[in-house]
Amino acid sequence: MNNISFNKLFSAGLVSLLGIFLLITFYDISNLEVTLSLSEHYINYGVEETGAINLITAILFDYRAFDTIGEATVIFTAASIVALILPQHEASMLKTEFTPIVHQSIAFILPFFWVISIFLIAYGHLSPGGGFSGGVIISAMSILIIFTYGFHYMTKRFNVTRLSLIEDFGALLFLLIGIFGLIYGGSFLANSQAGIYLGTPGELLSGGLMPLSNLAVGAKVGTGLSIIFISLTRED
Amino acid sequence: MIDLIFGIILVMLVVTAALALFSKKLLNSVVILSLFSTLLVILLIILQAPDLALAEAVIAAGIMTSFFIITINKTEEIE
Amino acid sequence: MILLYPTIVLLICMGLYTVLTQTNMIKIIIGISIVESSIILLLGAMAYFPDAAAPVLDQPFELVADPLPQALGLTAIVINASTTAIMLALVIKLHNRYDTLNIHEIKRLRG
Repeated sequence: MNNISFNKLFSAGLVSLLGIFLLITFYDISNLEVTLSLSEHYINYGVEETGAINLITAILFDYRAFDTIGEATVIFTAASIVALILPQHEASMLKTEFTPIVHQSIAFILPFFWVISIFLIAYGHLSPGGGFSGGVIISAMSILIIFTYGFHYMTKRFNVTRLSLIEDFGALLFLLIGIFGLIYGGSFLANSQAGIYLGTPGELLSGGLMPLSNLAVGAKVGTGLSIIFISLTRED
Repeated sequence: MIDLIFGIILVMLVVTAALALFSKKLLNSVVILSLFSTLLVILLIILQAPDLALAEAVIAAGIMTSFFIITINKTEEIE
Repeated sequence: MILLYPTIVLLICMGLYTVLTQTNMIKIIIGISIVESSIILLLGAMAYFPDAAAPVLDQPFELVADPLPQALGLTAIVINASTTAIMLALVIKLHNRYDTLNIHEIKRLRG
C-alpha cells in the first residue's frame, strides 16, 4: 500500500508542476504582440487565388494540399495495421434480435445518410464540411448496418477486399490530381498556378480541381474507417 | 450573457471529465466521454469554428463511442 | 472567456494524471482521448479574438477569425481517431494473450 500511495503523490506533484509551467507559458503567449501576416494573406487573397469561399478547404486542399496527402496516409496505415493485428477471433458478440420496427426504421433512414454525406463532400468549398466529415458519415452508415442487420449481412455485400479496392481508388485519384498539376506546367498539386480555369466563386462548379480532391479524400476516409470497424468486430 | 453561458459550459466540461476518469464502471466512463465530446462541440461553435465542430461531432461523439463499446464487449469476462 | 486557458490546463493535467496512475488499460486510453480533445479546444481558442466571424467568406466581412489553426485542428482530429483505434486493437490483442486488463499483471508475466 505504501508503494501505491507514494506513486500517486509523486504523479500528482509532477503533474501539478507541469500545470504551473503551462499556465505561465499560456499567459506569456496571450500577451504577445505578433502580426499574423500569413493569415492576412490567406484572408485577403484566398478567394481570388483559389476560387473557394470556405477558407479552411482552400488551405487544406490548395495551399497546403501536401499535408492532406500525409493525413490520408495515416488513415490508410491505421486501417492496414488494425486489419493485420486482429485475428479472426471466436468471440460471442451478444446477438440481440431486433423487432421489425427497428429494421424498417433503419431501412428508412439509411438513404438520408447518403444524401447528407454527398452534400457535405460536393459543397465542401462553399460551406463548412469538406471531404473528411462526409467520409466519416459514410463509415457511420456501415456501422449502423452491422449493428442492426448482423455481421454476415454486411460481409456478404461489402467484404474487406471490395472496400479496400475503393480505398485504393481514392488514393490513386488524389495522386493523379497532383501529377495533373505537374503536367500543365505548375508544381505538384497546383490548382490555379497551372492555369486551370477557376470559375466564379460561389457556384458549385468552381475552385478548379478542388471538388475532385474532396471526393477522393471522402472515399478514402469513409472506407478506411469502415475497414477498421469490420476488423474490430469480425468473428469466426 | 454569452459569457455566462460560456462559463457554465466550461465548468460542466471539467465536471464531466472528472466523472469520466474517476468512475468505477467502464461503461459509465464511455457514455460520459461522449457527453464530454458534445459539450466540446458547443464550445467550438461559440468560438466561431464551424469546420472543427462538425468534424469533432461526427468523429468523437459518433465513431469513437462505438469503437470503445466494441472493445469493452470483446474483453470483458463473461460471468 | 477569461477562464478558457486555465480550464484547458486543468483538463490536460487530469488526463495525464489518469495515464500515470490508473491500472485498467481502457481507462488509460480514455485519459489519452481527453488530453487530445483538450488540445483541439486549445487550437480553436488560439484562432479566436473578440467580435470575429467564422472563416467562410460569403458576405462582406470586417474581422475574420484565424483560419490556419482551424485547418491544422481538422487534421489533428482525424489523426487522433486513427491512433486511438490502433490502441484499442492492441488492447484486444493483449487480452487474448494474457486474459486480463490490469497493467501490473502484464508487467509481471514474462515469457
